[in-house]
Amino acid sequence: MTETELTEINPAVPARNVLEALHAVIDPELGLDIVSLGMVYAVAVVDSQVAIEMTLTTPGCPLHGSIEADVRHCLGQVPGVGDIGVELVWDPPWTPDSMSAEAKRSLGFY
Amino acid sequence: MPRLGADGAPPVLPIASLLLGALALALVGLLVLLSPAAFAGYLGLPRVVAINHVFTLTFVGLVFAGTLQQLPAVMFVTKLAWPRLGWLTLPLLAVGSVAVVIGFFRGFSAPWLAFGAGATSLAWVALVVQLARTAAQRWPKDPGSHALLLSALFLALAVILGFTLASARTTPSVAAQVGYPVQLHFTVGLFGAFLLGIIGSGQKLLSMFALSKGGPQWRVRYATYAVTAAILLEALATFARLPLITASHVLLAIACALQAWEVLNILRRRLRKRLELPIQRYVLAHAFLPLAGVALLFGEGGAAMILFLLGFVGLAVSGMLVKILSFLTWTWQFAGASTGGVSGGAPLLRDLVKDELEPIITWGLVLAAAALAAATIWSSALLAVVAGAATLLAGVALTAQASHVVGVTVRSRRRLAAAAAAAQATKTLEEARA
Repeated sequence: MTETELTEINPAVPARNVLEALHAVIDPELGLDIVSLGMVYAVAVVDSQVAIEMTLTTPGCPLHGSIEADVRHCLGQVPGVGDIGVELVWDPPWTPDSMSAEAKRSLGFY
Repeated sequence: MPRLGADGAPPVLPIASLLLGALALALVGLLVLLSPAAFAGYLGLPRVVAINHVFTLTFVGLVFAGTLQQLPAVMFVTKLAWPRLGWLTLPLLAVGSVAVVIGFFRGFSAPWLAFGAGATSLAWVALVVQLARTAAQRWPKDPGSHALLLSALFLALAVILGFTLASARTTPSVAAQVGYPVQLHFTVGLFGAFLLGIIGSGQKLLSMFALSKGGPQWRVRYATYAVTAAILLEALATFARLPLITASHVLLAIACALQAWEVLNILRRRLRKRLELPIQRYVLAHAFLPLAGVALLFGEGGAAMILFLLGFVGLAVSGMLVKILSFLTWTWQFAGASTGGVSGGAPLLRDLVKDELEPIITWGLVLAAAALAAATIWSSALLAVVAGAATLLAGVALTAQASHVVGVTVRSRRRLAAAAAAAQATKTLEEARA
């Protein structure tokens, strides 16, 4: 499973709490949250600013707009979070191996 | 990065096109049911040709054209060029297709065919130019995208060849120049447009929906080469009268085998074991490729075409229609809606599909293809009635499914908007009281 890199500099909110909040962002196609799917590569919190580095299952994913909007919406509810930056990256590419064991099980991998 | 509805055409265009396409399948069933005797005899009758074009031009054509308003942006990872062109091309295509069908029903009526073929040719040429312009912004490197590009080009060519056939019937000078290239029209339409379209879009979509990553794509590349070479050989055979038909047919058989192999390969690599019902239908479609080949080997060209069209193309296109429509309507209603997505109350994509309708579509089409092919082999009007009823059932179920997908999504969005407005009103009231 993908290990999310957490970075904090004088954080207004712990990066771990931000990552926890991202469990509320659900991929509408797979029905699982983006953290369990291994899409969140890095969370950085500097003061109240939050930067998320994440990916999607495929570069042309048609759900890109809605997932990014959901990330911003969910983090906007977290007390202490100010500006939110979301960067989509394609390297390393997402693979099904990035998912948690629980996510794989719920999709019937085993 | 493309966003559906923002970077593609206005969402109402592809959604309307897909809904009309689904309705056209029901119409095919109704027309077969009303003319069973026609399928028990000579398949070149105007009525049969008309019904065939309801399937190819209206059902498959509208679904394909609607998909081309959104899928290329996703596959090529760029924006759709001239997104509002669909307001011209899709209505033109719908009107032109209806005119072609009327022209055939009226016993190859020249004015109707000329108008219909002209309109559909114009619409498809515009769609191909739009697609090429979209691709030129960020030229795709994967063989699936190349297959999709070529399929649109061949669909336009098939329609233009249809226009040529209509002209040859009315204008002796045209007939003297080009003859009556009906076999080439079939090959370009069935294999160049439909097979390559399914190869190109299916490779991307099946991998995405089955979570099957990576793997070599040489089968897709060589299948595309084989279809293209087969069409070139057939064109040479038609216009230069060279003995190349057998070589062309061998290449088409190889392309079909490569596509079936690629699908099996994607499935073998998949990590999502439980495929959704529309995707299962897409996969099942490929079982009709060898069946059509066997029918052709036994000299049953009509049955082979029915197995290919109603079986392979019908199942594959109806499967993808349900999945593509789900994505389109969901993103249309919820992308950027700032409702918090699924955790904010939006439905999952799989919740938009009514599972009970899926077996009716799948097995209705399987029964229809088998019964209609058998009807032509044994000249049985009774089997044609069974086929018509099964197609009608499948078409009605597909239309109901498509309407359900759109209805559920729109209602969910309205419910969320109403809840958000009520919450805001309560908050305002509480603030005023405080």
